[in-house]
Amino acid sequence: MDAYLLAVGTIVLIYALLAIGLNLQYGETGLINFGHVAFFALGAYTSALLALNGWPLILSFLAAGLIAALSAVPLGFAALRLSDDYLAIVTLGFSETVRLIIQQEEWLTHGVQGLPGIPGMYTSLAGIPRAWAIFMTLLAVTALAAYAISLLQRSPFGRMLRAIRDNEPAVQALGKNPSGFKIRVFMVGAALAGVAGAFYAHFITFITPEQFIPLVTFYVWMSIILGGIGSLRGALVGTALLMFFLEGSRFIRDIFPGVAEVQMASIRLALIGLALVLFILYRPQGLFGKRTT
Amino acid sequence: MGFLNLLINGLIEGLIIALPALALTLVMGINRFPNASAGDTMTFGAYAALGLQHAGVAFFSVAVTGALLAGAVLSWLCYRLVFEKLSRAPMVASLIAAIGIGFVIRSLIGLIAGHDMHTFALPLVRAWNLDGVRILPTDLAIAGVAALLLLLVFSWLKLSSSGRQLRAVADNPDLAKLSGIRSRRLMGVLWLLSGALCAAGGVLLGMKAVVMPELGWEMLLPAFAAMILGGIGQPVGAVVGAVLMGVAQELSIPLVGPSYKIAVAFVVMLLVLLVRPGGLFGRVEKVR
Repeated sequence: MDAYLLAVGTIVLIYALLAIGLNLQYGETGLINFGHVAFFALGAYTSALLALNGWPLILSFLAAGLIAALSAVPLGFAALRLSDDYLAIVTLGFSETVRLIIQQEEWLTHGVQGLPGIPGMYTSLAGIPRAWAIFMTLLAVTALAAYAISLLQRSPFGRMLRAIRDNEPAVQALGKNPSGFKIRVFMVGAALAGVAGAFYAHFITFITPEQFIPLVTFYVWMSIILGGIGSLRGALVGTALLMFFLEGSRFIRDIFPGVAEVQMASIRLALIGLALVLFILYRPQGLFGKRTT
Repeated sequence: MGFLNLLINGLIEGLIIALPALALTLVMGINRFPNASAGDTMTFGAYAALGLQHAGVAFFSVAVTGALLAGAVLSWLCYRLVFEKLSRAPMVASLIAAIGIGFVIRSLIGLIAGHDMHTFALPLVRAWNLDGVRILPTDLAIAGVAALLLLLVFSWLKLSSSGRQLRAVADNPDLAKLSGIRSRRLMGVLWLLSGALCAAGGVLLGMKAVVMPELGWEMLLPAFAAMILGGIGQPVGAVVGAVLMGVAQELSIPLVGPSYKIAVAFVVMLLVLLVRPGGLFGRVEKVR
């Protein structure tokens, strides 16, 4: 049971990294990113492929963040020219295209069969259990990311982001150019997602394109909506709540043994969809957020 | 697969995509949000027809009509229960709600009907072979039904008074309200129509390929791309965009393989947005 809780905790932290990035993009800057899973996937595959080719993990993790951040640059440029609704569609399309490429380019990614045998983290560690070491590393990285973002929020840079979100023409009228800020925000969020993907790949040690469907993106959206959009603490709490719901729903099958796993997946998806709709309708500020316009 | 075969296939697929693309562009033009639940409304339509067939409805046309009605009612319910309440909220609220509704529809279908692929019980027919150009009579029927439905919708939009009102609301909602158009009733009509169009697209797509829970979701990006290609809120544009998109997807097969269809839609969409954001039929105003 301890091992199970630790595994759930690890997944929570991975999703927390994703949520921190999305919260910076949407919550702080107002950039609608419906393709967050693309950067998660790129990070996971980058790190996994490099590690399988013998790179040390520390380098492959950095490469994962870097590749994800670079892949966000073209989207950042698209975001400069598109309004919210278009950006949503384009980012969604981007993530589906990335998944399609991973699925099709078998010479590189083994296609739908996935990449097995990805080197795990801390395999030569003695003294403390591996799972704990992974969890603590991830905890440190997540805490560091959250701390860095909270510093950023209070910096002039962060004020600029909120200004862009709330009134972009005013920002331009003051002689500031929102473009550079938007691209950097896209890159930072993507880099966090890329590192999250690397952790995911080396934690699970087996990745397939099926793990990177748009649903992952909307899990992250659900997390930040649960916790209250624009609040860093809310994003973290929201992630924890969502993941414990998703994991907890596995135990429903212990109570109703007749429910098959595939049915359970459908029920889970239906509940997530319903929760999205109900929150948007009745509690757009999230569970703890204060009501804003 | 010769060039002509691909072209014909592309035209037929384009006519199918045109149905949800028309629904999307009307909703986008009037309610101002991309209705991401349209794809799953398509799936719902296909399964409704399938269910009616399994329930013993002998005539396929009756099953299809039932499916259109079911899609219309579902879409109307979504509007009344959710989107109408969000009409004053930011665009992203409606969009996320639409995604949520899509998840609910798709997973309930998966739960009730399972994840297996299904096909409609249709009479088997042999393809006509005209000098190497293969034409399936079923495909011709699909194209005919799609074209007929589009014709009906366009004559309704152009000739009927509610169609005219709808175009007025799309053009300028405040002015339309001032001139006494009862927009609430009209919105109901719009969402009924949108649902029926999506359901029709779903049924026709299911006839051409197979029926599965992801059927409509996979059509969503091509339909969005068609809408953007044609220009937001432009019914004719959506249809032309859809046909071009269908042909482009099919003709890309010899170059990139059949699996990259969605990527083709994505690339076309991106190019249009970056080069000509108003789309082919867009007005000369800053729309982005």
